[in-house]
Amino acid sequence: MMKLQLKLALYNTLTKVAIITMMGILILVSINRISVNHIHQRLIQKKNKLITNLSSVKINDLLTQQKTFTDYNLLKEEYIILKEVKNSDTSKLKHYFSQESREIEGSQEEYQILSAEFKYGGRRYLLELGETMSTVGQLEHTISVFTFLILLAAVILTLLTDLAFSKFLLAPFYQIIDQKLNKVNDPISFNYEPVKTTTEDFKILDQSISILMNKIADLFITEKEFIANVSHELLTPISILNTRLENLLNDEKLSPEGENKVFACLKTLNRLKSIINSLLLISKVENNQYKKPDSISIKELVHEVYEELEHRLMMMELKFTINLSEDHHFTGNRSLFNTLLMNVVNNAIKYNLPSGSVSIYDTYIDKHYELIVEDTGQGMDLNEVQHAFQRFEKFQSEKEDSHGLGLSIVRSIASFHDIEIEIESEKGKGTRVIVIFPEKD
Amino acid sequence: MNILIVEDEKNLGLEIAEFLGKEGYTIEHAWKKSSAEEKIFVNTYDFILLDLGLPGGDGFELLHQLKQLKDREDAVIILTARGDVEDRIKGLEAGADDYLPKPFSLTELLARMHAIIRRKHKLEMNEVNIHNFILDIKNHKVSFEGQKISLTGKEFEIFNYLVLNKDRVISRINLTEHVWGDILEINSDSNFVDVHVKNLRKKLSGHAPIEWFETVRSIGYRINSGK
Repeated sequence: MMKLQLKLALYNTLTKVAIITMMGILILVSINRISVNHIHQRLIQKKNKLITNLSSVKINDLLTQQKTFTDYNLLKEEYIILKEVKNSDTSKLKHYFSQESREIEGSQEEYQILSAEFKYGGRRYLLELGETMSTVGQLEHTISVFTFLILLAAVILTLLTDLAFSKFLLAPFYQIIDQKLNKVNDPISFNYEPVKTTTEDFKILDQSISILMNKIADLFITEKEFIANVSHELLTPISILNTRLENLLNDEKLSPEGENKVFACLKTLNRLKSIINSLLLISKVENNQYKKPDSISIKELVHEVYEELEHRLMMMELKFTINLSEDHHFTGNRSLFNTLLMNVVNNAIKYNLPSGSVSIYDTYIDKHYELIVEDTGQGMDLNEVQHAFQRFEKFQSEKEDSHGLGLSIVRSIASFHDIEIEIESEKGKGTRVIVIFPEKD
Repeated sequence: MNILIVEDEKNLGLEIAEFLGKEGYTIEHAWKKSSAEEKIFVNTYDFILLDLGLPGGDGFELLHQLKQLKDREDAVIILTARGDVEDRIKGLEAGADDYLPKPFSLTELLARMHAIIRRKHKLEMNEVNIHNFILDIKNHKVSFEGQKISLTGKEFEIFNYLVLNKDRVISRINLTEHVWGDILEINSDSNFVDVHVKNLRKKLSGHAPIEWFETVRSIGYRINSGK
């Protein structure tokens, strides 16, 4: 994945590189052509000059002893060859340009060559005029180097300026992401003040998020009202039934059989109350109705939970060990976290085997404090572990009086505190519940 | 002692009244906020049982009005089915003496009322005698003919609650909820309270026969006063 900022900068740089490279190649090609054209013109001019000034005496002078005349100037930039052509009187007079490599006094050079035949005094001569290409090569080289340097400078400069500019440009975007999305835990106390930006798109984004948050906040409030209504409308009739049944028990005319039935009713009613209260607790936690005002000491809380559940351990004859290496503190809701821990430890007791053990210990992994509750109980298979957090999920091993909401409560309280819960379990061997705390700020 | 029950749900108000009436309390009812206001301004009460959601206004307003009256000692217990997390703190901060979420058990209500009476009126008689076992409620101690019996906190709580509600069968769930509070799922398994009761009875029976401490099969326990 790449940041938009970098993508834009790279795109800009690449397009600039492409354009400059194209220009460079174009310039090189045209420079070459223009230079060769100039050389050709010069060669024609020289040839004309030479031929106009030619006389039989001069030719004779030139070719006195040898059959060929060759001359080149000191720096080997030019040369001239004149020789007589024989046996080809009938053919057309040759006149052409060519580029050839010539070795002159041991050094190889590239030349543009004009080969022109002419007749003089009934004789046919071939005149070869050459001019070195080395100046053109030099020019091309200079231009290449120059182009490359410009290219390099352009790349670095545009990359830097683009990065800086897009960073400046995108700053409000990241501000929106950070302030309006990442740091928002509670839609009710959302900060609707717009992030300062001159970019229209970000303004739209900001506004859209605000509108969305407004909708979510509305839903939250509606949900809160709904919870309050459900709470009132369900708990009031249960309350009436409960008190009425209790009063019925005070009736001395009630037979023992009747008494038993009334208690059975009370028990069922209590179950109903417990389920409703559990569901309401989950909803309230998920509806952010709780605050996190307490600094919680894990060590202290673990010992409290132990004291509360001690009698259950005794009854099951379980061995209980607490081994905490440090006293981790975190900010949260003490009573909620107490409920979380109670549920986890209680499960470890409830689903244990007689004379089994429960141990609570801690560890640090990747800067995360982890609290582990381990039991030697009935354990769960993979399928059961996967469904453990689902509401009303009950397993064969589950006791009759459970309503399958304990771990749902644990999960919602955990996520309210940014705590992760992991369950490792093996059927028949036991279960390990790992409470992973967020990294400390 | 006279009690004002401020409760718009008539069925509930009447059931509470029936129970407390048998306990010897004098009951008055107010079914809505305005009538409750009239009663509060005219009479004083030992207890006001206050529902929060009332026709014509919020129970909290009534509480504030009451607290502004001078020289009033009325104890207030908030009874509510409203699910608001803040209500409990708000209620106690506003001067309520206790807060009992609905649905509650009447025996629990009675226990809370007794606790308030002891706290508020600093009762001299803080000792209860049950078959010559003396419960010192203030100091959470039990003795028999001058001999101290050492009970754990939970055991005392259980004994006290059963004695307070003597001659009534108290179910395990009721007892668990009183001693350990409402911890939801955990309390659904209320058989654990038996361990404590077993220990308690062992300690008591070491001093005298306790045939009056009855186990009511599959339900719970009852302490018979023998009257």
